[in-house]
Amino acid sequence: MNGPAAPAVKRTGIMLSATRYWPTEIWKSPWSLPRYRAGAAWLAGILLGICAVGAAAGELSAWGGRLLALLESTGLPAYATAWIWLLFKLACVIGVIVANGLWAVWWERKISAHMQSRFGPMYAGGFHGWAQTIFDTIKLLLKEDVTPAAADRVMHALAPVIAIAPCVMAFAPVLFGTDLAAANLDIGVLYVFAFAGVSVIGVVMAGWASGNKYSLLGGLRAAAQIVSYELPRGFSVVPVLMFAGSLDLAVIDRAQAGYWLGFLPRWFIFYPVVGQLSFLFFLIASVAETNRTPFDIPEAESELVAGFHTEFSGMKWSLFFLTEYGYVLLSSFLLAVFFLGGGAAPLPGLGFIPSWIWMTGKAMLMMFVFLWFRWTFPRLRVDQLMDFNWKFLLPWCFANIGLAGLILYLLGTR
Amino acid sequence: MIVDAIAFYSMAAVAVTGAVLVVTLRNAVHSALALGLSLAGVAGIFAALGADFLFAAQLLIYVGAIAVLIVFVLMLLGRASDLRLRQVNQQWAAALLICAITGVGLFHLAKLFGGIGAAAASRPTTRPLGLLMLGDYVLCFELVSLVLLAALLGAIFFSHKDAP
Repeated sequence: MNGPAAPAVKRTGIMLSATRYWPTEIWKSPWSLPRYRAGAAWLAGILLGICAVGAAAGELSAWGGRLLALLESTGLPAYATAWIWLLFKLACVIGVIVANGLWAVWWERKISAHMQSRFGPMYAGGFHGWAQTIFDTIKLLLKEDVTPAAADRVMHALAPVIAIAPCVMAFAPVLFGTDLAAANLDIGVLYVFAFAGVSVIGVVMAGWASGNKYSLLGGLRAAAQIVSYELPRGFSVVPVLMFAGSLDLAVIDRAQAGYWLGFLPRWFIFYPVVGQLSFLFFLIASVAETNRTPFDIPEAESELVAGFHTEFSGMKWSLFFLTEYGYVLLSSFLLAVFFLGGGAAPLPGLGFIPSWIWMTGKAMLMMFVFLWFRWTFPRLRVDQLMDFNWKFLLPWCFANIGLAGLILYLLGTR
Repeated sequence: MIVDAIAFYSMAAVAVTGAVLVVTLRNAVHSALALGLSLAGVAGIFAALGADFLFAAQLLIYVGAIAVLIVFVLMLLGRASDLRLRQVNQQWAAALLICAITGVGLFHLAKLFGGIGAAAASRPTTRPLGLLMLGDYVLCFELVSLVLLAALLGAIFFSHKDAP
């Protein structure tokens, strides 16, 4: 008999050629694979380890207080202590933003790869390509920095700086755990939104200064989109501010402590109808504000090459991406504080795990939602984007505020 | 406090420098960006004076929205001559004189009210502002809203294709 021998096991995957096939059948019963079980065990072990370390370390804000007391006991003059403490907090916040860039890019690559039946980075560093983004950063640092001949040199160099500086400043009142923020501001929410809206000037400058029609179109689209979506983003959290009665993020965080009926956490997302609607509106507007798919028309690859950052390379280019992932992290922490109870535990009896682990966990969950969105939905067209904002999102945000007022009136709490 | 004075005067310098750049730069887009810088300097002055709500509102509305929209319009409707336009014509001496007279008048007016300062340390202003706007001054507040609404509708009416 001629021809290839019949396979011993009938394989149900996608045949790529006579000898290679893509094993989709393993996803029907992944738990039968020993390596899959081992990976799940590792993941559970890492999460339990983080919780154990957190429970042993306790609240980070208490450690901050101890560090400040130590600094004050050294006998330095008061202003020197204040400045050192300020610089320390600034270094912590910038460290969080930069580390988030490394982590989020790697995570996004892995998630996008798995959603498309690929593996993503697998080689750099050994375990699942964990060092890929570190090597990428080194590559970007060594890359030639090109400025086009038609560019406005000063504006071209200044644009990434103007994009990222407000991002760093917007993190000042963001809570990383209960009472764990660089600055305790009474106008926290307004402050974050104010600085988050300034970054678009850097994007518009980048688009104009590149001297390239695709860049200019990208910058124009970014200006129109971000200015439009700022409105529903601000108005969607008004119900939360009404329930909490303050613009201070720490007050909003504390207002969600405790449980209804002994088990249902008093988070704003569990307020009937109003909470879920404002969560959804804020999530959608936040995705649009960060210029990510399905709202990424400022950098739509199929239409505008790369939009406003077409003519950027090396570290200037990566500053734009650091800004984008910084804003994703900012939105994740804001979602956690506004709707998911901030540093509060989801069930009674879990309070021994400190608030910063809950807060970071909830923020990472929300960041996963951001990445999930990006690799699930197709891109909107420009007119669809504007129609959706002005004709659907904004009117319903106002209706939601009215509903929140009605609930507060009927409950008679304020 | 010396730090307060440094903060105030540096922010004032930013605002004035931005304003001077707006009227001296030849490139219209540069001028618009300098306007954003000047408005941010004004926001910084509010912050240095302890007016926290005004600071955030100024940044949110003037820098984050109005300056961006001015740049947007310049890019969308700009002409090539916008990039090398002279900012002054033959009447600059007369304009300078009018500016000087107005400046002296404003200086005297400011000196009249210069002694008024906050007696105590600044404290959060959001709650008192909200109570005043929806309490004692609710009529003025609603009238201003009405004027803004009329302006908005008028802009839509005149920019509509079928406008008479």
